[in-house]
Amino acid sequence: MNKTNEVEILLVEDNPDDLDMTLRALRKAHLVNRIQTVRDGAEALEFIFCEGAFAGRNFDNPPKVIMLDLKLPKIDGMEVLKRIKSDVRTKMIPVVILTSSKEQRDVIESYNLGVNSYIVKPVNFEGFSAAVQELGMYWLLHNQPPKT
Amino acid sequence: MQAEQKLRASLKEIDDLKAALDEHAIVAITDPQGKIIYVNDKFCAISKFSREELLGQDHRIINSGHHPKEFIRDLWTTITHGKVWKGEIKNKAKDGSFYWVDTTVVPFLNKDGKPRQYIAIRTDITERKVAEMAASWLAAVVESSDDAIISKTPDGTITSWNRGAEKIFGYTAEECIGESMLMLFPPERVGEEPELLARIKRGERVEHFETVRTTKSGKLIDVSVTLSPIRNNRDEIIGASKIARDITERKAAEAAMRESEERFRTMANSMSQLAWIARADGFIHWYNQRWFEYTGTTSAQMEGWGWQRVHDPQRLPEVMAQWTEAIAAGQPFEMEFPLRGADGLFRRFLTRAQPFKNAAGQVEQWFGTNTDVDELKRVEQEIKNLNAELEQRVAMRTAELQAANQELEAFSYSVSHDLRAPLRAVNGFAGIVLEDFSSQLPEEGKCYLERIRNGGQRMGELIDDLLSFSRLSRQPMNRQPVDSVKIVRDVLDELKPQQDDRQIEWRIMELPPCMADSALLKQVWVNLLSNAIKYTRDRKPAIVEVGCTQENGGNVYFVRDNGTGFDMQYAYKLFGVFQRLHRTDEFEGTGVGLAIAQRIVHRHGGRVWVEAKLDRGATFYFTLEGENKL
Repeated sequence: MNKTNEVEILLVEDNPDDLDMTLRALRKAHLVNRIQTVRDGAEALEFIFCEGAFAGRNFDNPPKVIMLDLKLPKIDGMEVLKRIKSDVRTKMIPVVILTSSKEQRDVIESYNLGVNSYIVKPVNFEGFSAAVQELGMYWLLHNQPPKT
Repeated sequence: MQAEQKLRASLKEIDDLKAALDEHAIVAITDPQGKIIYVNDKFCAISKFSREELLGQDHRIINSGHHPKEFIRDLWTTITHGKVWKGEIKNKAKDGSFYWVDTTVVPFLNKDGKPRQYIAIRTDITERKVAEMAASWLAAVVESSDDAIISKTPDGTITSWNRGAEKIFGYTAEECIGESMLMLFPPERVGEEPELLARIKRGERVEHFETVRTTKSGKLIDVSVTLSPIRNNRDEIIGASKIARDITERKAAEAAMRESEERFRTMANSMSQLAWIARADGFIHWYNQRWFEYTGTTSAQMEGWGWQRVHDPQRLPEVMAQWTEAIAAGQPFEMEFPLRGADGLFRRFLTRAQPFKNAAGQVEQWFGTNTDVDELKRVEQEIKNLNAELEQRVAMRTAELQAANQELEAFSYSVSHDLRAPLRAVNGFAGIVLEDFSSQLPEEGKCYLERIRNGGQRMGELIDDLLSFSRLSRQPMNRQPVDSVKIVRDVLDELKPQQDDRQIEWRIMELPPCMADSALLKQVWVNLLSNAIKYTRDRKPAIVEVGCTQENGGNVYFVRDNGTGFDMQYAYKLFGVFQRLHRTDEFEGTGVGLAIAQRIVHRHGGRVWVEAKLDRGATFYFTLEGENKL
């Protein structure tokens, strides 16, 4: 098994500022090497379902965690979450919503769809960095995924 | 020889006498025991028995049972003592009919003076007896009549006076008989008598002549008099019979009826409705004045079924159908239809007709009214239109509100999401510069970057607070009983981090439970109590009192602190969004907490207010409508 090619984090983020800050925070925590970034919901689904540009992937190597923004171009995060969690091939993949929205209905709907974590991006820089780093550490190092 | 001639002559004489007797009388001869030994033809004729049936029988064969035992015993006692008995006897013939005989029973004695036989000689008096009986019946009828029955001579002298007359006029027969009839006339009526007498003399009858007479006590009474001439058997008029009936009561009833009718008419004419009276068959014979005023018609035009001419020809068949149906059924009639007024315009009337029934349940007449409901109907329609319009407007407003609400929601969602991202960039990249390039920056530059970060931070807080404030009005309320003491304790636990190294003396008094949305109410307590903690920061000891008083029968909850307080002249600003009485560098905050508290209290139908003095603490009060209903 070619471990080095395995994507550990799929980061779905359209905002370049948030993307840069997220990547910086992960880099600082030395978690950056196997990150795949996609910039909208459609691209995210192509990656996850091994289609289009990602047709070469297979379902045997899922990311360890998907960090998903809610407000995305083309297909929004909620729809992406729904598709992941309603497909037997992908529903085991942990999904963390990383969003600006504190709206209760977003939180509730996400949990209804089977999200594994819901994180509101803090405005405050230190808080944001810490949240991203803890998240990466937790899902990559501490969490025990089911054997595929 | 001479003696024989004499005997023969006397026998002949006896035979002649007997023949004469048989010709005149009913004759029977009985033996001393009463057994019949002889009857003549007349006896057989009247008793309708044959001679053979009678001979050997006693008189019980014709006993009518009419006479008492004493009467029969008296007869026998008399004749057995050899005396003649006379009397009137009622007998029964063979066919069951009765006849009366005037009877003489003569006993014939033997030489010992004992009756040898009895001879009964009778005369038929049936006719007289029947006449007598009829006369006595008549007398009894006259006597028992309630009407006064009086007879008088052709010149007006009273000749008989019954008990009815006594009752009506008060005089006894003795007081009146022989007196002039004029004694009963009031002075102004005396003139009637010659007229009445003249008519009697002409042989005329006077029937039901209504007049006034005087009683013995002087009271005037209404009487109805019927006078008939009395003739003798030569057809000569020998007097007059007078039957007088006291009709005072009837007259009074008639007067009362007239008065009541008059009253009814006055009333029916004075009311604002059109009114009418119909016979049982629906023929209308009376209308009130309002009817004629409104329709501009005359009584002659309207009588009977003339009312049809003021109806709308289109509606008339329907009206006729329902009215005839009501008449046939004798059931109340109710219908709304237009009637043409004198101005030629139709107005709508509600018509009701009520049948008046007699004791036997038959309709005697109908009383009808027509009430002008045109205005009412018009207003009704107007109200209906207004209501419809109002409903439409409400629906429109609701739709507008819903649209506005949706817009607001979309707005706050986008604020929540989109405004924060650039803030994060401002804050984040300033932080990154400070973290990564700090060594290359002068102190002043670092300070400015710090300020950029703080500005971004504060704006984030403002956005968050603004969002939670706007969310308040959209959130549905769920009122339920809330334990106020528990909610305050929970809030104080949550606020522990804010008071870590502080010395605060909490004085929590008895708090009654209330009806509220517990999540929202908790926010009120959080905001008030965290304010109390915040603004007592420089007090040692800080004292915060939580309690409840009564005002106008309602609970007033309050939070009192001995903190920094404020000048009451700015109190009006206190509950406005982003309104603050302290600078951020004195006391941090966004100025939304009290606005949120006020909005929650208002949504509960309550009131929130404050009493404070600069540097002498503040007391916040609030009520919740309905907390007493617990």
